Amino acid sequence: MFAYIVRRVAAGMVMILAMSLVTMLLFFASPADPARYTCGKNCTPQLLEQNRKALGYDQPVLSYWVDFTKGIFVGSEFPKDPALKKSAPETIADCPAPCLGYSPQSSRPVRDIIVEKLPVSASLAIAAFIMWMIAGVGLGIVAALRKGSIVDRAIVGSALVFYAFPTFFIGLGLYVFLALKWGIVPVPAYTSIADGGVGLWLQGLFLPALTLALVYIAGYIRLTRAFVLEVKGEDYLRTAQAKGLTSGRILFKHTLRGALTPIATVAGLDLGGLLGGTIITEQVFNYDGLGRTAVMAATTYDLPVTVGIVLVAATFVITANIVVDVLYAVIDPRVKYS
Amino acid sequence: MSTWVPTEGTSDALLSVRDLKVTFPTEDGLVKAVNGLTFDLNAGETLGIVGESGSGKSVTSQAIMGLHRGTRAKVEGSIDFDGKNLLKLEDEELRVMRGRDIAMIFQDPLSALHPYYTVGNQIIEAYKVHHGSASKAAVRAHVIDMLERVGIPNPQKRIDQYPHEFSGGMRQRAMIAMALVNSPRLVIADEPTTALDVTVQAQILDLLIDLQKDINAAIIIITHDLGVVAEMADKIMVMYGGKAVEGGTADQTFYSPEHPYTWGLLQSMPRIDRERLDRLRPIPGNPPSLISPPSGCAFHTRCAYRDDENLGCSTIVPEFDVQDWHPVRCLIPAPKRKAIFDTEIRTPSS
Amino acid sequence: MSSRKRTTALAALGVASVLGVSACGGGGTTGGTTSGSNAAGGAQKGGTIYMLTKRPAEHMDPQRTYIGRDIFNQQRLVYRGLLQFPAGKSGADAIVPIPDVATDTGKSEDGGKKWTFTIKDGVKWEDGKPTTCEDFKYGFSRNFATDVLTGGPSIYPLNFMPSVAKAYKGPYLKTGQDVYDKAVTCNGNVLTFNFEKPWADFPMAIAGLNFAAPFRQDKDQGDKNNFVIFSNGPYKAEGGKWTKGTGATFVRNDQYDPKTDGNRQANPDKFVFTEGLTNEIITQRLIADGGNDKYAITDRSIPPAFYNQITGDVAKRATNVPSPYTFYILPNFNKMKNLKVRQALAMSTDRAGYINALGGAKAATLAKSLVAPDLPGYKENPAFSSMPPSGDPVAAKKLLQEAGVAMPYPITYTYQGGTPTSDNAAAALKSGWDKAGFSVKLAPLTDTYYDVIQNPSNNSFDVTEGGWGADYPSIFTVLPALFDSRINLTGKSNGQDYGNYKNPDAEKIMDEAAAAPTADAANAKWQELDAFLGKDVAYIPNYIQNFYFLHGSGVGNYNQNPAVSQFPDLGVISVNK
Repeated sequence: MFAYIVRRVAAGMVMILAMSLVTMLLFFASPADPARYTCGKNCTPQLLEQNRKALGYDQPVLSYWVDFTKGIFVGSEFPKDPALKKSAPETIADCPAPCLGYSPQSSRPVRDIIVEKLPVSASLAIAAFIMWMIAGVGLGIVAALRKGSIVDRAIVGSALVFYAFPTFFIGLGLYVFLALKWGIVPVPAYTSIADGGVGLWLQGLFLPALTLALVYIAGYIRLTRAFVLEVKGEDYLRTAQAKGLTSGRILFKHTLRGALTPIATVAGLDLGGLLGGTIITEQVFNYDGLGRTAVMAATTYDLPVTVGIVLVAATFVITANIVVDVLYAVIDPRVKYS
Repeated sequence: MSTWVPTEGTSDALLSVRDLKVTFPTEDGLVKAVNGLTFDLNAGETLGIVGESGSGKSVTSQAIMGLHRGTRAKVEGSIDFDGKNLLKLEDEELRVMRGRDIAMIFQDPLSALHPYYTVGNQIIEAYKVHHGSASKAAVRAHVIDMLERVGIPNPQKRIDQYPHEFSGGMRQRAMIAMALVNSPRLVIADEPTTALDVTVQAQILDLLIDLQKDINAAIIIITHDLGVVAEMADKIMVMYGGKAVEGGTADQTFYSPEHPYTWGLLQSMPRIDRERLDRLRPIPGNPPSLISPPSGCAFHTRCAYRDDENLGCSTIVPEFDVQDWHPVRCLIPAPKRKAIFDTEIRTPSS
Repeated sequence: MSSRKRTTALAALGVASVLGVSACGGGGTTGGTTSGSNAAGGAQKGGTIYMLTKRPAEHMDPQRTYIGRDIFNQQRLVYRGLLQFPAGKSGADAIVPIPDVATDTGKSEDGGKKWTFTIKDGVKWEDGKPTTCEDFKYGFSRNFATDVLTGGPSIYPLNFMPSVAKAYKGPYLKTGQDVYDKAVTCNGNVLTFNFEKPWADFPMAIAGLNFAAPFRQDKDQGDKNNFVIFSNGPYKAEGGKWTKGTGATFVRNDQYDPKTDGNRQANPDKFVFTEGLTNEIITQRLIADGGNDKYAITDRSIPPAFYNQITGDVAKRATNVPSPYTFYILPNFNKMKNLKVRQALAMSTDRAGYINALGGAKAATLAKSLVAPDLPGYKENPAFSSMPPSGDPVAAKKLLQEAGVAMPYPITYTYQGGTPTSDNAAAALKSGWDKAGFSVKLAPLTDTYYDVIQNPSNNSFDVTEGGWGADYPSIFTVLPALFDSRINLTGKSNGQDYGNYKNPDAEKIMDEAAAAPTADAANAKWQELDAFLGKDVAYIPNYIQNFYFLHGSGVGNYNQNPAVSQFPDLGVISVNK
């Protein structure tokens, strides 16, 4: 098992480095010129060249990538200009290992940006995760147990409605009606625990997390319902019943253990995907997390931030995959890795 | 045993099933899975219920266990166990009897055991649910003893293993241990050997018989294979299309069967005393529809001896006289049935 | 760069978005818009104003800031320079430079080559130290470090000090420091700029841009300073910086002495800037007017989809004024060499149809020159006075026949596509031109748009469009920037001269205007230049983008004026309790 994990982690790291290269290749292959964006109005070819140099895009993509990769292991500094460092060391930004690059548009090391935005995305993802797991799995179980009844049809039907609506629509609808028109909840804004305590943090999280959760709840209701129904048809449940177990014990010990194992897999992967940022929800609610930052970085040709967030998001996804696989071996005794 | 069932009201059998009907509503119509079944079973006795799939034998066993409760199935008639009509019991009263008084052994032990829990966990659970006050250590010791009794070697170690770590035969032994852990008075074994190797089948059956003697339990063995029950059952009931078509002692049913369907079952069974393989032949046709059964004798569509003109096989519904010693649901007169069996079915070994 | 929409280079990564119109420079348009209690003396002090915006600030370093909105927000709140524009005035009065940290608006000698300013006493930085002549000299020197501090309007100081620019690489590398020390000098509190060319409207330039703002050498960390805010104005940033993607909160600077100012009212106690919101959310929130949004303002226009909701009380909180940004159609002179053909094109341009596609009269105003109406020296371009808003296909057809070209005359119109609005607008143009005898092929481009139109040897298009706003209130920052081939056309790029326009006669007028001794004389020359360009159909004026802003019901002294590029003037705004 340990060897298996080591192997997976190593493969994941190789994948992440490859992804950074692919991101850079795509960026460099784009016909748009990032230097023109930072150059400002009245840009002369000479200024354009200086901008390109300041951005670091004057070098070939491979050497840019090698610099980046080196930075991860040994750190780096920006700009890499010995003359400037000698005459004005205070202008050189230090970026110790693991350095994920320096954003010329934000004038900060990418790692600082990610460290600042990650808690926002993570808070949102985890709050939404808890909401949809409780509501989605709970309602899915109820629907499965009451299969064919009005309760079942109401749950599955309303889940389908949310499933059909785009996130943007749900988010905007909740925002406009709950927060703006009816004033049931305050206008959502992210407040970190350090700034406003747990209360304000949760209050700010409520609507965006609900939006995100609603999108996922639908899927989880359907998934849970399907898995519970599938397990209800399993022979081992009939065995449990024949043993004279109470219905509660049959549900919680025998049915859910079987039904929720695949849900745990899906949930782990979904959470891993969301920790790296949620683009639409963060945009709608003005949550300054990784998703919105990534969009902003992409639209302002901020390659280092784009690469940094791609890598963080990829790390979460890859880690989630490994965790889920390992977890699977813990949950299901039949699974063994070597 | 005198008649198939004693005269009404005089039964002191452990299990007494009367006119049992189980129906399921479906989109295509009402499925009459069991359509009027009557039999008795005494303590320590073994009943074999034989039939093709769809004959209603498994549905009958589930009806006895009350496993149809909470589903759309409708169960009518009566199932008296130890003088109590199981169909009239509260859910909770019945639950307490399940596993404790009536236990069940399923066909495929791999799917019937929960894959995520150890074998021991599942057997301990089966015991503890009915012996809540027993200490953990005592329960464990009892379960290890039980595993040993069903012939599982090294039970101290095996108790903590998962079902997938057991071989098929060992799994079924574990399953039997689970069923017998509470020393039930009635054990229903639903195709207990079907999923097993032929060599293992006999061992499992022997084990069942041995244990039955130990605890003096009544057993119902449900199977499609007449051979399985021929030697171990006291009585055999052959079912077809949700009804009993032939009943009697094992000898009667096996050595002098009178229903053409039973003949078919015999002929489709490989036997050591039958060398000519061309005699091994399945019953032609398919099991009857349970929604709209054939008119007259349900078996007439597949029966080689039907005689619509003289006997009215396609119009007259044959009776099953439970007051008979050897009831047979067939319109062919008894002497003729015996003659056909003797001349055409029981082939002398050549 | 001018008003450009861009699609992301990273569409391949699945993240695509469109940037809004970039707001650059000063300049102005007719009239200011004021609502709420307007009596300057009667404005209430205290409270918090919330600025809701979409586009993130790119720089907070004064020398690097080139976006009009950011320049004026900085000026009104945190950065005091030599001169400023009056707060809360309207029309031409709004763009008259007045003293800020300087005692007067400066003295020029040597035909506008030498400018001297005297620095006031008592203007302090937020740490209590005085704002000195040396701080101004150091701040100006930063314009020359173009390799470290990118993005700012350094082209102006460098243009007027070409030999210094050649020798001096800024205060970090310090190469050529002696050359700079002679060009910009401090004698006690007297600051002198020695330009190599006359810069008659230098006061306008430093009131309208922040490149001459003071900067404390001991606080300078080069690029790392980009979002650091070190104030000498009435407010200071909480935490001393702007957070990109989030914004900043500005609170009162206790070192600020209003007696040294007299212009900024600094009414609210606090300003909270939130960036990164969508236009839809901003509009929804301002329509709802709940909670703190009662004190909210924005610099984002109401999207056309919301126009029907701007009624009753909400309409009273909406302002609709022309912005400083003019959009124009331009022929590619590599291909459209026949004057009559260009005239026919102009005459058949359906500008009304175009404006309709944008959302109608609330979204845009018909332009009568590329020069914005309230720039000093503005005059309607006479060449286009006979051009009806919907075009005149009949007259245009006649011109095309006179040109003696085969009809239908095929042309390709390239524009920045990718949105239904831009496609509908292009379709309106095509329909007008087709009627006049052109055969128009529409060529929408996304990522490659500027690579195509800025390539001087690309002849794949005949007509395209552009947009521009003045950097500071002077036509000098408009027409030469777009039509002077000498600064625009290099081998690789045509700069902002997308039509590859090159005309020695026009350039002669530009030189005369630049060398004019007085502003009035210069303006007469600029008018001559505009008429010349019109006659030559170097461009066809299309529309002026309108600002259609909402503000909360608790906002007092709400004012948009040319001094702040028609954005809400933070120098006068207040909170009505």
